[in-house]
Amino acid sequence: MSVKSWYERKYYGEIEDLPEEEYDVLVIGGGIAGIQAALDLGDMGFKVVLVEKEPSIGGFMYKLSKTFPTMDCASCIATPRMAQVFHHPMIDLLIYSEVEEIEKKGEGDFRVKVLEKPRFVDSSRCTGCGQCELACPVIVPHEYDWGLAGRKAVYIPFDTAVPRIAVVDLDHCIYCGQCERACPTEPPSIDFTQVPKIHHLKVGAIIIATGFHLFDARLKENYHFGEYPNVIHAMHMDRLLAPTRPYHAILRPSDGKEPNNIAYILCVGSRDKTVNNPNCSQICCMYSIKQAQLIMGALPLADVTIYYIDIRAFGKAFEEFYQQAKDMGIMLVKGRVAKIEQKENGDLIVWYEDIENGGKLCKAEHDLVVLSVGLLPNKEIANVFKGQKLEVDDVGWIKPVDENANPVETSIRGVFAAGTALGPKDIPDSVIEGGAAAMQCAAYLSEVRGRH
Amino acid sequence: MSGGVKNTVLEYRKKTGVEPPKELTELVKEINKIKAKITNALKEGPKTIPEIAKEIGMKESLTAWYVLTFVKYDLLEPESQTDEGYYRYKVKG
Repeated sequence: MSVKSWYERKYYGEIEDLPEEEYDVLVIGGGIAGIQAALDLGDMGFKVVLVEKEPSIGGFMYKLSKTFPTMDCASCIATPRMAQVFHHPMIDLLIYSEVEEIEKKGEGDFRVKVLEKPRFVDSSRCTGCGQCELACPVIVPHEYDWGLAGRKAVYIPFDTAVPRIAVVDLDHCIYCGQCERACPTEPPSIDFTQVPKIHHLKVGAIIIATGFHLFDARLKENYHFGEYPNVIHAMHMDRLLAPTRPYHAILRPSDGKEPNNIAYILCVGSRDKTVNNPNCSQICCMYSIKQAQLIMGALPLADVTIYYIDIRAFGKAFEEFYQQAKDMGIMLVKGRVAKIEQKENGDLIVWYEDIENGGKLCKAEHDLVVLSVGLLPNKEIANVFKGQKLEVDDVGWIKPVDENANPVETSIRGVFAAGTALGPKDIPDSVIEGGAAAMQCAAYLSEVRGRH
Repeated sequence: MSGGVKNTVLEYRKKTGVEPPKELTELVKEINKIKAKITNALKEGPKTIPEIAKEIGMKESLTAWYVLTFVKYDLLEPESQTDEGYYRYKVKG
């Protein structure tokens, strides 16, 4: 939903225009890279404001089952950091808010306009009990679970949301008032008198940590994603494997059967000029191998086959992780999948080129196919800069001034970037870049403030 | 924020004149019907998703989506598993 659409709605009162607030640093994006940057700057004594467009901070990491190759619980790592940034005395959060405009007035002087969207829930009273959610009669697909299950029109974003406060999805609200009547606080926390607020910020420097978008698998029409219910993408599978999963078990969406012959297709939307993304997404090989291992643990009788072009196990302990997968009995087939056909019972026929056996065309039957989709840039942020151009590369990732010597500084001096806003990368590299951007930001502020 | 306004949803509707879109009210009616059909189908005993789908005349994938969402909201619960890998569901409580 665009920022503009929030201005087109009707509210109980006028949109609130707030007086200017001053901060040392604005961090845009509350994923793991942005959280790391904010924490490092806050710990150094800088006054930070972190803006997150979703109703909870956490970004992508909190949705994952485990990290690779260490197999640590992703939300067990992310959640304490989310709480830490929320409670940090030097960090203010603007959650469910979007940066609309940034103007550079001079070195160390940026003016920023931020729209804070109304939750229609009073955050000072809501206890996150979820009674409103139970009472709401509307059910729509839950974005957090990539639509695998439903949520209500008023909902707690997810179990470990920070803040754990309900939010009303006005697009799906029927204004029945059930939520307000079910709310146990006195007066009820549901508050439809809320209006959007416009924050005017004066900041010394900016860190962009706006993350990425997943490749839309519907664009690979030969795989029939969105049409065949048992063709899912790998983030669906990560949700199915997570402790906070939407279902009570790993089940296929067509009929709730536990799958026992699962295929992975790698490089869907990566290394593929036909969909305008020639780059390797860097994480798909490893997250697929991670998921395959987790499936072997959860469904010991299941067969897992990975169809790949190349396995790029380039990081620390990645090769060993890959070898471990092979030792566990995961089958790896070198070959591009040409097409998928669906049988009447929902099972799927995968047609592939068997490269290691002379390149002959083969077919195999599976009861669930997982597309290991690639990462694409989140291009929106480049449009908010007024009078300055944020350089991006041919695909749309933010382009640093020097890929080798200065990888987190952008083309606009005083604006830094971290994590997957700069290109595909895994969690440890995102955390490292969050720290690096914080350090560069501190050096920049010290330089410009010392000079002026 | 509400500044003493009682029943803010009703007041919001009065002040803005906003009405719920027809497709949403139709959706809610449909959800209620599906909920009733599924719980009715389970009155005789636990059933798998294909069995429920067959009984209520709904597509298996849509039945699966609603059954699993109702499990999430504690209306239904899995009871046992068949040899074919399907769970049987029953009404909770």
